[in-house]
Amino acid sequence: MAVVLLPAVLAAEAGGQKRFELEAATVGDALRQLPVQNLLFDETGELRRLVNVYVDGVDARSGRGLEEPLGDDSEVRVVGAVAGG
Amino acid sequence: MGVLLPVGTRKGLFLLRSDDDRTEWEVEGPLLPGWSVFHAAVDPRDGVLYAATNNFVYGATVHRSEDLGKNWERAEELGLPEDGELKLSATWHVEPGRASELWLGGDPGVLFRSDDGGKTWEVNRGLLEHPTRESWQPGAGGMCTHSIQLTDGTMYVAISAAGSFRSEDGGESWTPINKSVAAEFMPNPYPEVGQCVHKLLAHPKRPERLWQQNHCGVYRSDDRGDNWERLDGNGLPTSFGFPLALDPDDPDVAYVIPEQSQEQHFTAEGRLGVYRTGDGGASWELVSNGLPDRAWVAVLREGLAYDGGGLYFGTQSGSVWTSERGGGQWTEAARDLPPILSVEAASV
Repeated sequence: MAVVLLPAVLAAEAGGQKRFELEAATVGDALRQLPVQNLLFDETGELRRLVNVYVDGVDARSGRGLEEPLGDDSEVRVVGAVAGG
Repeated sequence: MGVLLPVGTRKGLFLLRSDDDRTEWEVEGPLLPGWSVFHAAVDPRDGVLYAATNNFVYGATVHRSEDLGKNWERAEELGLPEDGELKLSATWHVEPGRASELWLGGDPGVLFRSDDGGKTWEVNRGLLEHPTRESWQPGAGGMCTHSIQLTDGTMYVAISAAGSFRSEDGGESWTPINKSVAAEFMPNPYPEVGQCVHKLLAHPKRPERLWQQNHCGVYRSDDRGDNWERLDGNGLPTSFGFPLALDPDDPDVAYVIPEQSQEQHFTAEGRLGVYRTGDGGASWELVSNGLPDRAWVAVLREGLAYDGGGLYFGTQSGSVWTSERGGGQWTEAARDLPPILSVEAASV
């Protein structure tokens, strides 16, 4: 089971749940199972530009992106881009 | 009965409550933390509170609450067609309609309809595929559909840097209604479309009468937008501004809060001035008792509201001001809120 961790804004939108345990083969499979998937993906199905996803601490965009495979104990962390001061 | 003001801010939603005296206000919030609330309104049909919510990371959506903000649901389906080139970049205005209709304006110049209380939204094809769309140009605030008005069998929308449009067939088709409305920033200052409307309102008891605060002047139409008369001068310090309010019973009354200029988005003449006309815009008077006379603040297009008992507006510097009907005396109902994007009024 992979674990997905959400930031506060998304956790509030998921009924207060911050941590999800999911059966998912890839990062994309995991994110699309979440009750906040329409905040992560736009209407064309693309991951929103300022949504960053880390798999075991590594930016998924630096690897295979949404196709990044997940293992049984993978940790997927969703992080909104930081901007401003 | 009492009064509820949903106040949308850059950092969530606040609810201001008062009894019918409108003298003491309780402030609740922030609700929807993490979301910029471009507009929020209570549907008078069922008391549901809607908020047009935007987050710079997670996009544009709509939230609804059946218990005035204790619990929220987010729209399940809201977006533009996958096969198109446009993407929804912001939600701007929620407007209850006829029967079960609920309307939503958004950027880029789009309109949605919901018939299930805001759970799912269908884009309005007549506006999305409007033959003049290529002539629309986004302004500084984006290309936002910010004004939606429904009167006897007629519907109006206004879009920044696109203009005003009228539909006689429930939104199937839209006719530009911008004749005699200036677009002084264009090579042709009187084009068919491209005018930068900042706010458009129809009078609830005289539905053929429309008012608009435009980038280039204040206007009134007495024939559903076929012709417009420019009304600035005669007491208004400038022609530029964003918000607009009416009187629910007197169609000759309107209120604006002028800004210095399109380059200087703060209140005109270094004061926080509300201007009122009681003669259809032929003349304007300052109604500012209680308002600061040294102020350089801004009131955004959704930041001024009215009902049968009063007037209400919020500033970008986080103050909410209220007055009895007529604008005779203003008091600060709340201060030090985040930058205020919108104010509405509801009876609860």
